[in-house]
Amino acid sequence: MDALLQLLVNGVALGSVYSLVALGFIIVYSATSVVNFAAGQFVMLSAFFGVMTILNLKLAPALAYPLAIAGMAVFGVIFYVAIHLPLQKRPVVSVIIGTVAAGIVMQNAALLIWGPLPSRIPSLFGDANVSIGSSVVTVHALATIGITLVLIVLLYLLLYRTSAGRAMRAIAQDVEAARMMGLPVTLWLGFAWILAAVFSAFAGLLVAPMWFADVNMGDPIALKAFAATVIGGFGSVPGAIAGGLLVGLVEILGASYISSTYKDLLSFGFMILFLLVRPQGIFGERISERG
Amino acid sequence: MKNLTLNLRAGLTKAAIGSLLVTACAAVSAQQTITVGATVPITGPLSLTGTQYFNSLKLAEEDINKAGGIKGAKIAIVIEDAQASNSTMINAFIKVVQERKPPFVFLTSYSTQNIAVAPEVMKAAIPVMYAGGANAVADLNNKWMFRIRPQDSTAATAMARYVKDKLKASKPGIIYIQNDFGQGGANAAAKLLEEQGAKPVGSESYGQNDKDMSAQLLNLKNKGADVIIAFVYPLDAALLLRQMKTLGLKQPMMISSGGLVPATIQLLSPSDLENVWGVTDAFLAGTPKGKDFLERYKAKFGSDVDPYGAAYYDGARLMAQAMSAVGTEPNALQAYLSKVKDFQGVAHVYSFDDKRNGVHDVAVVKFRPGTKDMEFIETITVK
Repeated sequence: MDALLQLLVNGVALGSVYSLVALGFIIVYSATSVVNFAAGQFVMLSAFFGVMTILNLKLAPALAYPLAIAGMAVFGVIFYVAIHLPLQKRPVVSVIIGTVAAGIVMQNAALLIWGPLPSRIPSLFGDANVSIGSSVVTVHALATIGITLVLIVLLYLLLYRTSAGRAMRAIAQDVEAARMMGLPVTLWLGFAWILAAVFSAFAGLLVAPMWFADVNMGDPIALKAFAATVIGGFGSVPGAIAGGLLVGLVEILGASYISSTYKDLLSFGFMILFLLVRPQGIFGERISERG
Repeated sequence: MKNLTLNLRAGLTKAAIGSLLVTACAAVSAQQTITVGATVPITGPLSLTGTQYFNSLKLAEEDINKAGGIKGAKIAIVIEDAQASNSTMINAFIKVVQERKPPFVFLTSYSTQNIAVAPEVMKAAIPVMYAGGANAVADLNNKWMFRIRPQDSTAATAMARYVKDKLKASKPGIIYIQNDFGQGGANAAAKLLEEQGAKPVGSESYGQNDKDMSAQLLNLKNKGADVIIAFVYPLDAALLLRQMKTLGLKQPMMISSGGLVPATIQLLSPSDLENVWGVTDAFLAGTPKGKDFLERYKAKFGSDVDPYGAAYYDGARLMAQAMSAVGTEPNALQAYLSKVKDFQGVAHVYSFDDKRNGVHDVAVVKFRPGTKDMEFIETITVK
């Protein structure tokens, strides 16, 4: 039972990271219909922004973390202006390919700048553990879950309690209608990219103390987050959260109780099952039902 | 008109002499440079160790040329990026062989890639040196392939022996990276331990890109493992050691050489290395040659070298010795290398057996409590 508790906490912590990245996918997809295949590299870059501010510049955490997040927000703008805007009149597949290419450039640029050696960012919570019975759970894992919850609540408030959120939802529903209603669509699309980048920043800064900042860390995270998005339902915020948590739990519990060798098979097999049985995901709506 | 003819003749003569001179210079220049190929993971997830032997090969090139080269001819090591997959490795090898026609090539330190490229090596019919550890590579019986570090069964045997005899394990657990190296090492260790009456209680694996091994570690703990033997690569080794501590696991861990390289150690705290033993290819700080190499590498590249890097340096020096003795004809080089005994390198003494494995011993190390300093425990030789 104690081992189960440890596994559940680790699974939810892992799932929280996938949820954050999946939310980045959803925010961009909902606003622009673009699947951002550079999402994993956004997480990687965020981790290295943390390396710069925390390890290289040795700034106090109160400054280092906000600076790293702000840096990613700026990067989101740059990405929007340099990749999305020039391609937005092209077929959507061109934009998607653009994100793939941008991801490769980001990864190799990171390798040139920071080199192949991984870096370890110390956790804000140190190596503190919490003992529950004979199981041990890290404070960092609990904090990851807590911070993800707070971000989800803030996102909900933004989308459903503010005029900014109303504008974003209007654009997600019908961009042309939103434009005709006088909404500054270009600005709001840019804001969507900034928001996705900020969510990636949190994912990167939370995951780096657990997994180290490494130029190759982005792709495996993005793949699992993509699976989470498919399971939860493309375009659905609750879906991204549920999908992320499910993937994290399937991965950890599957490795423990079924097979550690085939745990990736379990996670992606689960995704394929959803594609076959319920392709719109848990919370997604069928395309024919979108108005 | 006569003057014009004379001038034209003089001009053509000068041009002919000039061309001959240029051609002769080019020929002399070509003879003075021997191109050697190397396929190294410079980008991708394997670049962590790839950078080590990229640097070592460049250092070896410099040292060989400073010492006069190969009978006056300089060597130039041309490096192609092998990246992380078998297909990119094969492409890199084919490219370097077809474009540069080298008499010798260095392959990567990854068994999966070594096995994948073996048919192309056979086609190219030139000697190669590799540092992948899986026994399966030597079992291909490819006469052109020479291994310059201990094979995995040597390391696995040493790990199993030490765990049973010195750490007194009766219920060992095994965790390994899911590939030829990890699976080979795990199987060899499990077999030996079972023969010695200490059958492993569990064997868990993880993928190369996995970051969370808590499920696997907890499984071994719950099965009652009293020592954990790990077959790892550098980054996952660091993750594993950290997660052992954060999960509160107190079992001693015996870790393979990938977990002892500087790239791993720099990610860990002294507390992460408590109760950790390891089997490393070579304890470089333990010999004068090894120490000198450590210092020179650090002075040139600003980072610490690991035994993989040292092995490639030794391989390059051995290759140069072979070429100085018999020239660059591939069959002559192959025959020379097959008979090498007691070549003293910075990392090992090399003697190739009938399967062209050059190293037959490993060093057991432990970390001084409260520090990240490795201390030498003993050498284990496996014939």
